[in-house]
Amino acid sequence: MYANEQQTDAVTKPNGPAAAAVLAAGIGSFVLGLFVTLNEMSTEIHDFLDFSKNYGIGSGVGPLSGKVILAVGAYLLSWIVLAMLWRGKEVNFRGVFMLALVLLAFGFALTFPPIFLIFAAE
Amino acid sequence: MALTDREFWAVIHGLVLGTVFLLAFPAGLVGLWSLKSRYLTTAGVQERMPRLLIGGWIMAIVAWLTVLTGTWIVYPWYRATPPEGLTDLTSYPRSLLLSSPNTELWHKFGMEWKEHVAWISPMLATAVAFVILYYGVQLVNRPEMRRPLLILFTLAFGAAGIAGLFGAFITKAAPIY
Repeated sequence: MYANEQQTDAVTKPNGPAAAAVLAAGIGSFVLGLFVTLNEMSTEIHDFLDFSKNYGIGSGVGPLSGKVILAVGAYLLSWIVLAMLWRGKEVNFRGVFMLALVLLAFGFALTFPPIFLIFAAE
Repeated sequence: MALTDREFWAVIHGLVLGTVFLLAFPAGLVGLWSLKSRYLTTAGVQERMPRLLIGGWIMAIVAWLTVLTGTWIVYPWYRATPPEGLTDLTSYPRSLLLSSPNTELWHKFGMEWKEHVAWISPMLATAVAFVILYYGVQLVNRPEMRRPLLILFTLAFGAAGIAGLFGAFITKAAPIY
């Protein structure tokens, strides 16, 4: 018996938790790109993002430490919040995926040196 | 035939973890690509799901391990500042690359892109692995998920590929000793 004959009508789990995981990845990528760009725009932000020096998280990593810790923090936090909001719910997955793709596109673009250097402080 | 501590971690970061990542990607990609109910029997779905799940999670875990070792172990050696007046910069790869107009783009473009874009890969790979875990064999009944997962999986590979490619070139231009 083929799977489609037996499983087409099968009830599946709601897609809310899956959508939460996908959108959180988009949010994390966007936040990463955002902090990469903000790091170039301001020396104050550049200094703040040096978590290795300010908070002793790693040694000699520099501002990259803050950028990735904040991005991963945003990723995990948004995943938890969205998973709670969409738990047991069926959401418009196509819409969520498109939003995640837009956020990802910004994330990729803002980590590309010729783009984030446009915003570099003189 | 010996490796220094720095060479050992550079090999773990770039070669060992990178190779496992490269091997896990096609396994996951093929598994997702062929996850169409019309191609599979029920037994076929049940047989391949564990493999897809393991491949997806290996890729996600390895992606995290790669960026963590790269950022917190290898990268500080790369960006270390040489003492004032030092002329032999071979132990200071970033400074060595920036010391010549012929090599400065490896840092200003290659490393600046690599160190950031790599972190997108584990977030995407984890999202894909989670969805595979969440649905299990039911994923075959969610055809609207298959293409998004394929796209995210491929983007995860693309981000890691950019980082890996520049990592190889930069290591060739200015190795970490």
